[in-house]
Amino acid sequence: MWSEVTADPFPAEDWPSADEARHAATNGTVYRAESVHAPRRARKLIWEAREIGVPITDFEPKPADSASYRPDSVADGWSTDHFTVRVASVRGYTHRFRGTPRQDDVAVSHHQPTGAVVFAVADGVSAAPHSHIGATSACRAAVTQILADLTQGTPVDWQNVVRQTAWQLIEQARAVLGVPELDPEEAEREVATTLVAGLVLPTRSGPMAKMIQVGDSSAWILHGRSYRCLLDAKFSADDEVFSSAVTALPRVPHVTPRGGPLDPGGVLLVGTDGFGDPLGDGSGDVGTYFAAALRRPSPPLSFAYDLDFSRETFDDDRTLLAIWPRDDAEQPR
Amino acid sequence: MTGTRGNLLPVYVLADESGSMGPYIQDLNRGLAALHEALLGEPMAAAKVRFSILGFADDVHERLRLADLRRENELPALYARGRTSYHAAFTTLHRRIPQDVQALKAEGYAVHRPAVFFLSDGQPTDESWLDAYELLIDRNRTPGAPNIIACGIGQVEAATIVQVATQQEYGFGAMGGVDLGAAIAQFCTALTKSIVESGRALGSAQPELVVQQPAGFRMAIDVV
Repeated sequence: MWSEVTADPFPAEDWPSADEARHAATNGTVYRAESVHAPRRARKLIWEAREIGVPITDFEPKPADSASYRPDSVADGWSTDHFTVRVASVRGYTHRFRGTPRQDDVAVSHHQPTGAVVFAVADGVSAAPHSHIGATSACRAAVTQILADLTQGTPVDWQNVVRQTAWQLIEQARAVLGVPELDPEEAEREVATTLVAGLVLPTRSGPMAKMIQVGDSSAWILHGRSYRCLLDAKFSADDEVFSSAVTALPRVPHVTPRGGPLDPGGVLLVGTDGFGDPLGDGSGDVGTYFAAALRRPSPPLSFAYDLDFSRETFDDDRTLLAIWPRDDAEQPR
Repeated sequence: MTGTRGNLLPVYVLADESGSMGPYIQDLNRGLAALHEALLGEPMAAAKVRFSILGFADDVHERLRLADLRRENELPALYARGRTSYHAAFTTLHRRIPQDVQALKAEGYAVHRPAVFFLSDGQPTDESWLDAYELLIDRNRTPGAPNIIACGIGQVEAATIVQVATQQEYGFGAMGGVDLGAAIAQFCTALTKSIVESGRALGSAQPELVVQQPAGFRMAIDVV
């Protein structure tokens, strides 16, 4: 039998006033993000992200408003004979707060005949309404194309990888909008995304990494506590101010693959600007934290939890792929 | 650049406090208060803004400097006073912005190009302001030269508003009968959100600031 409810579970006097909420912002008290509408007992930490410096106000995320299912976070991890892979993509705090989908995505695959690990990381441009679909499509298209080149035994045609990915994006935008034809400009408005795609390949002289970049996602090699940026980053020490403008697919810029050897003891990192911005040149708190966290592979869910750290003003989606060469790997003959 | 402490957008409200603005000053004050409330409801956007309010007439009165609005109980009020010296307004900003950008960088922040909201009836009483203005917006001569969004209020001289906006599409004139305070608040909040996210403008090689026409305003270029 149902018992009679005699007490309001959320009595109004338990709710913080706007003044209290404002005060909370000044002294570090943790409220839910919707503090003025939330019960006082919601002061308890909810998301409990790892804090680096001053954290973002803790709150429970809203569901992603998307026609298709878009999980808040994804995590993956596995090892081959030559490499250990960890990867995570987590929704940014602003998207969680507003109930918008994670616009980053990642794809990573093993090409068994060559032992290569093939990857793509994409950051959907926030001005494009279906950029989360763009990011997913771009990652999968790029990885598929690179795998196809490897299977054929021909050198990877990187410019073709970009062209094929752009074409897939336009097709995807056409399907999303349900129209028979779509020009590239319209597709750009709907699904624009940045992309870094590449591979690490075991060779007789050790693992070699190669990748291309469209936009401001980037890659680094972490050695001990030092990060070496392999691609163009958003920041330059000489810039007086910085810009958030990006070049994005389905535009097809001319790309030049970059890369080099992945030395023993080094970790290849590929990430979106949600990771790259707080990292900066790696000499600050975030760089120190990840240098320790990535010294050796951690369980995939721990890896994702580390990436989900809370640090004020850094509220973008974050995606990070880490590849460690295995110490015990036999080199190909 | 070291590991950054955060990304900040300096926002300057450069408000005309001259006598001719008298009938609209309370609307402006209401607009600023509403903007403050709106940003408190967007804590993550608010965390990235450092807010300054400069009132100008014969001279410039600094009402607020590089404030974190989450830490302010209320914003200072503007007052109608004196004549309208655009020269004083732009000269002060030209001195202030590079200092402010350096100060924030010294604290370990990365800094977006500053945004200035210029609110005026477009009727300066001085004529020698153009040189000061050109210097302020010249990216070669002024470190951190700002984007200026100009909003005409009252009996607007639209041509002047267009002249002050750093791009034609950043110049707006308030339409008669709108709730000016609410319109200003809505506009500033939307702009703050758009500017701190990754922006992309079609057909532009270096898009930096995507400004949509605020409700209650029309493009100043249309009324010239």
